[in-house]
Amino acid sequence: MQNTVQNPINEEEILVGEGVGFERIRRITGYLVGTLDRFNNAKRAEEHDRVKHSVDTQLEQI
Amino acid sequence: MISQITKRDGRQVPFTVDKIANAIFKAAQALGGNDYQTAYQLALQVEDYLENTLGNTTPTVEQVQDVVERILVENGHARTAKEYILYRAERTRVREMNTRLMKVYEDLTYQDAKQNDVKRENANIDGDTAMGVMLKYGSEGAKQFYQMFVLNPKHAKAHSNGDIHIHDLDFLTLTTTCCQIDIEKLFAGGFSTGHGFLREPNDIQSYTALGCIAIQSNQNDQHGGQSIPNFDYGMAHGVAKTYKKLYRQNLVKACQLVCGLENAPEKIREMMDAIAQETGLVPVLAGDNGYAQEEARRLEILIDREQIARVQEFAASSAVAETDRSTFQAMEALVHNLNTMHSRAGAQVPFSSINYGTDTSPEGRMVIKNILLANEAGLGNGETPIFPIHIFKVKEGVNYNPGDPNYDLFQLACRVSAKRLFPNFSFIDAPFNLAFYRPGDPNTEVAYMGCRTRVMANVYDPQRQVTGGRGNLSFTSINLPRLAIKANHNIDFFFEELDRELALVVEQLLERFEIQSRKKVRNYPFLMGQGVWLDSDKLGPDDTVGEVLKHGTLTVGFIGLAECLTALIGKHHGQSPEAQNLGLDIVGFMRKRMDEEAAKTGLNFSLIATPAEGLSGRFVKMDQKKFGILPGITDRDYYTNSFHIPVYYPISAFDKIRLEAPYHALTNGGHITYVELDGDPLKNLDAFESVIRYMKEAGIGYGSINHPVDRDPVCGYTGIIDEVCPRCGRREGEGVSIAHLKRIGAYKNYNADTIGYHGDPAEEAQRTPNSLS
Ligand SMILES: [Zn+2]
Repeated sequence: MQNTVQNPINEEEILVGEGVGFERIRRITGYLVGTLDRFNNAKRAEEHDRVKHSVDTQLEQI
Repeated sequence: MISQITKRDGRQVPFTVDKIANAIFKAAQALGGNDYQTAYQLALQVEDYLENTLGNTTPTVEQVQDVVERILVENGHARTAKEYILYRAERTRVREMNTRLMKVYEDLTYQDAKQNDVKRENANIDGDTAMGVMLKYGSEGAKQFYQMFVLNPKHAKAHSNGDIHIHDLDFLTLTTTCCQIDIEKLFAGGFSTGHGFLREPNDIQSYTALGCIAIQSNQNDQHGGQSIPNFDYGMAHGVAKTYKKLYRQNLVKACQLVCGLENAPEKIREMMDAIAQETGLVPVLAGDNGYAQEEARRLEILIDREQIARVQEFAASSAVAETDRSTFQAMEALVHNLNTMHSRAGAQVPFSSINYGTDTSPEGRMVIKNILLANEAGLGNGETPIFPIHIFKVKEGVNYNPGDPNYDLFQLACRVSAKRLFPNFSFIDAPFNLAFYRPGDPNTEVAYMGCRTRVMANVYDPQRQVTGGRGNLSFTSINLPRLAIKANHNIDFFFEELDRELALVVEQLLERFEIQSRKKVRNYPFLMGQGVWLDSDKLGPDDTVGEVLKHGTLTVGFIGLAECLTALIGKHHGQSPEAQNLGLDIVGFMRKRMDEEAAKTGLNFSLIATPAEGLSGRFVKMDQKKFGILPGITDRDYYTNSFHIPVYYPISAFDKIRLEAPYHALTNGGHITYVELDGDPLKNLDAFESVIRYMKEAGIGYGSINHPVDRDPVCGYTGIIDEVCPRCGRREGEGVSIAHLKRIGAYKNYNADTIGYHGDPAEEAQRTPNSLS
């Protein structure tokens, strides 16, 4: 008994990428790391705590 | 009658009086005694005592040892008893360490990297692969062995209790940290990898291929990263060779097609060889060396005079375009190789860095432009390359201001960094870097290892304060917050203790240097065997390397200045000028101590702002146990990196740069300052460039801008992704329909491997290198 789907593929219904995450590149001690999974616990905490540094206010001064 | 004894692991083994007698005899021997008979008599007493007290039950090892101590004391052998207790304690320590090691091995074996922090100690080693785990077994075993049998117990104790951290302890007896490879010198005449001789490369493609091999070979001889300090200058030779070759090919083509010259390949080759032999001239990218005029004269006998200018123009312009393309492909291959080639038994790609930006020759500029474009393009599917670390050298008069010959490349560097996080930027004009700079000598331009290590001054050989062939030998970091907590707000006491700690670390670095010095050239087949390390070309395979290693640096590092200041005076250097002054006093004190030690020993002692990957959690965990959770000090999972303002502290980019810059001047063994930018910096390149310019003006030595670089592997979008991918609209883990991917132009083909996953179509369309204007 063959199980092949004979119908033309309905491209609206075929989903790709289920279970696939986004890659998040971050810098850690100077090296880039492709995914947060490989950070050790301390570095993961550090990355989580990072705040952005504003540049707007002083742009005119330089 | 006692016949059995229960060992610690529960096994029962035969009980013999001889074993007890031997143990007592050994303890007595340690005190100068040699009377085995007495030892045996005492052992018999132990046996009697056990029989009388325990009856028929089987004694444990612990019980037997307790009785031995008791009998020794009762018989007036107090000193022997003491020695026996020490012996026993030592055995216990060894046993515990063995047990601890076995526990580490057990976790390595049965936990995956997600659960096991040891496996993730270094983010660039895949702790889940066979070779990755094998490396860890070796590394953990070596660490324990050195702590038990090699390290001075004083240093082992300071390391294991978290006062200091001896970096790369697993390599203690094996090798040194890193090296800045002078590729100009290495390539001249070719080199041998130990697996075969490689001729001097002949075009830009083989230059970059060999560059990768050099990095890989050296990486296997050392435990740290590898850097090329003169990437543009070195690769420029390859571009020149490629241009010469392509010019000839195009000249041949033109002479054949336009002028019908017969046997053109032979005739043109003969002519060019003759020009080179008689005048030393070859075709060059700039076309300004008089070659064209000389060639025009000689072409008169080969082709129609009217055609010469046209033919030459065709050959030159075609060769420029083809050389540019070839250079881009070579750089693309280099980036690709350095992200995929493996070293260290396959678990790790080499830690590589390349420095460039100041070569203003047309060939050098072509190298710089194309390595930047290759990094901008990304890997095969548009992924952001992890290696090499790019460091763009900024220099006034060369590339910093509009009108400088390489200013266009500085701007390109900003654009690429705004997209890919690399390049970082180093600043030759920072006074402490400028002091070494001699215009026209690239070897005096400061270079950085990607992780921030800086090797420049040379007290051992002041005539050679250069980058090439040198590197760090080893470094050890000090736990500053702990010293501060223990000082209990007493700043004088803190400095006294810091001084003592520095003395301990200096002693430890020197002892490690002694071990490193006894190694032979044959222990480093590439680094020393191929003359990569400065002066190693003067040594034979069986010579020890101690003398030439003196070109390297012995480095003290530190972690957690911010927490240290908070412990001492309640505020860190981002919060109060008083703390900033004290911070500079502390780091200045450490630097002064290094300078004194360098002057005293003639060795390059230096101070580094430690890159603390494995360390940032280790110290604080121990200090939490020791002192509890102290607000602003031990209340997070990490100590702040070196002299950085804490990452969680809100501060403007410019204030952060201004406050951190003075520490760059003090940390001569390496430093880096980061700024975290919000949003997509590609949309505001002026702001990006202004931050880099501010770094330069503030006296930063080495700096970089962090910003989020996310990628959706399904539709290929690279940029910032919060919750929802801006291109295809999916959330993390969600599927997206093929029809939708097709509608947005992000669908290539449909098969099991590539289903939807591919690069950024918009980006791929831009991948032709710009022409060199
Ligand atoms: Zn997407």
